[in-house]
Amino acid sequence: MVSAISNADPCFARRGLIYAWARWMVAAWLCLLTGSACAQAAKPSEYDVKAAYLLNFGKFMRFAGSGQAAGGAFNICILGRDPLGRSMDQIAANETVDGRAVHVQRLGDATQGRSCQVVYISPFEAPRLREDLAILEGSNALTVGDTPDFLERGGMIQFVLQADHVRFSVNLNAVDRTHIVLSSELLRVAVSVEGKPNRGGAR
Amino acid sequence: MRFWNSQSIAGKLTRMNLMVSATALLFAYVAFFAYDLYTLRSDLLSSLGTEASIVGANSVSAIVFDDQQAAESTLSALKETPQVEWAIVVGQDGNPFASYARDASAKPVLQQSLAPGESRHFWRIGTKFLIGSRIFLQGKPVGAVYLLAETTALKESALQFGWLSAGILLLCYVIALLVTAATRNLVTAPLSGLAETAQIVSRDKDYSVRAAVPRTSDELALLVRSFNEMLEQIQLRDHEVAEARAVLEQRVQERTAELSAANKELEAFSYTVAHDLRGPLQHISNIAFLLQGMSAASNPEERELVDKLFEGSQRMSVLIEDLLNLSRATSTPLRRIAVDLGHTAEEIAGTLKAEDPGRRVQFKIAKPTRAFADEGLLRIVLQNLLGNAWKYTSKKDPAVIEFSSKDGAEGTVFFVRDNGAGFDTRYADRLFRPFQRLHSQSEFPGTGIGLATASRIVERHGGRIWAESTVDQGSTFFFTLPYGGNN
Repeated sequence: MVSAISNADPCFARRGLIYAWARWMVAAWLCLLTGSACAQAAKPSEYDVKAAYLLNFGKFMRFAGSGQAAGGAFNICILGRDPLGRSMDQIAANETVDGRAVHVQRLGDATQGRSCQVVYISPFEAPRLREDLAILEGSNALTVGDTPDFLERGGMIQFVLQADHVRFSVNLNAVDRTHIVLSSELLRVAVSVEGKPNRGGAR
Repeated sequence: MRFWNSQSIAGKLTRMNLMVSATALLFAYVAFFAYDLYTLRSDLLSSLGTEASIVGANSVSAIVFDDQQAAESTLSALKETPQVEWAIVVGQDGNPFASYARDASAKPVLQQSLAPGESRHFWRIGTKFLIGSRIFLQGKPVGAVYLLAETTALKESALQFGWLSAGILLLCYVIALLVTAATRNLVTAPLSGLAETAQIVSRDKDYSVRAAVPRTSDELALLVRSFNEMLEQIQLRDHEVAEARAVLEQRVQERTAELSAANKELEAFSYTVAHDLRGPLQHISNIAFLLQGMSAASNPEERELVDKLFEGSQRMSVLIEDLLNLSRATSTPLRRIAVDLGHTAEEIAGTLKAEDPGRRVQFKIAKPTRAFADEGLLRIVLQNLLGNAWKYTSKKDPAVIEFSSKDGAEGTVFFVRDNGAGFDTRYADRLFRPFQRLHSQSEFPGTGIGLATASRIVERHGGRIWAESTVDQGSTFFFTLPYGGNN
């Protein structure tokens, strides 16, 4: 298996960046000393992966019709208490999506999410999830979440942890209510897809 | 080289064509083959590149979203491309992410990798190609795909093309040969016709033959036409020369006939004159002799006149005899026999001594001195030469006269040598002309006919006569006669 990610791995824990970096160095030294036993030592944490996914979702989606004006920043917003920490900022730094500079915004309130293209709803928002989704409805933002009932409640993409890998499921019904079109490439690697791709309307 | 040189032009042309065609076709073959190899290789590389690009594009989401299964299912489509032995997709971190191997038991090992910033690279590993292609997502590299392809198919199709094109070129070669054989005659037929004609001309000296002129209007036709024209001119000139020669011949014959007729007439005339003069002269001589006897007692003046008359008639008799001899030397037919000239010379010497017994003359005559000649005519020759020697040694005491012979290139050389008065050799050629004398009548009397007669006789025998002399030391007269039996 390649690129395995595990919380149980002694080399990994979710901490601040400097601490993580220091641990990475230690792990690297260990690896040098013990050979290839810790080949996956340099693997990123679960939230690093999720942060990267949030950016990459942006690269596999587009906005049909007049959904979003071209130009301007591509905003990745984190609603609620941020579990991703600085890895999101690091990953998004100097990145572009369709030629638009990526900005990371942290929202305290779902109403601020109107200008976002991707909204990650923190697990800490679970109690207010339904309200948040309702507010974001019609804002042409791709909603991404962690909670197990995220799709049932009207979210679009839900992270799933499967065999130590971060995967995701898609609710196309929710997506189709917006002008967002998800690439078939993205759907191909999804764990599961609810609803059928709307080939006509939104495009 | 000798074989090459000894060949006919037709053979040379064939050989030349063979070599030219073979060289051209060989170069064409090599060029085609090289080009084909190059094309096959670049085709393979370009199709591999395309394959890698497609695989890469289809693997982007799998890499980005860490879906190894999706990546491997994409890679498994490569089983439709049989020359791909294995494929590896490498993630952003440079580690293998998904792999495919045609032979499931084989474990692909990747030892090469793209340099940073490099989007595509080909490696040659033994007989196989490895292609590495970077995978991009919105311009950012997210991984790479590596394909290892074997080149057996390449080799096979190259081999196939090689055999096929070799066959085609061989066929072209054969066709070229056939065309050569068919068209060779255009050049060689006129040439060999020309050569044949030239051979006939030089062997048989027959200038009436003509080479066949080809129907073309090229240099060959020009050559053949010029050759024919040359033959015609030679023939024309030959004809003219023959005509001129015939005319000349006829003219010479006419002239010769005229001359010999005139000569005969002249000889007949002079013979008749000389012969008929002899009778009256004999009368005069006889009467003068009688008068000498009768006037023995008369006065000295009468006596002197009668003496002069007698002397004159005697000289005239000698002259007539000489002229008759000259005439005979020219007209009598030759009757050659083996003869001892020494014997003849001795007889003449005896006669000379008897005529003038008061002189002291020593004769040295070699005996035998054999010759094959007309005895009567040679007697005249010796009479003249020995008589001259006798005459011109009259002021020497003792006189020595020698007759002998030796072998020479032209025949036997006979000579008469004396120690007499001799003559100036500047005038040697005049000696043998009639009536030409080097001495005055009073000094040495003579008719001037004797040596001319001797010369004519020797010439009639096919010999030569000449003289050498030193004034007051004596002279030697040589004459040659061809060896007996030759004539």
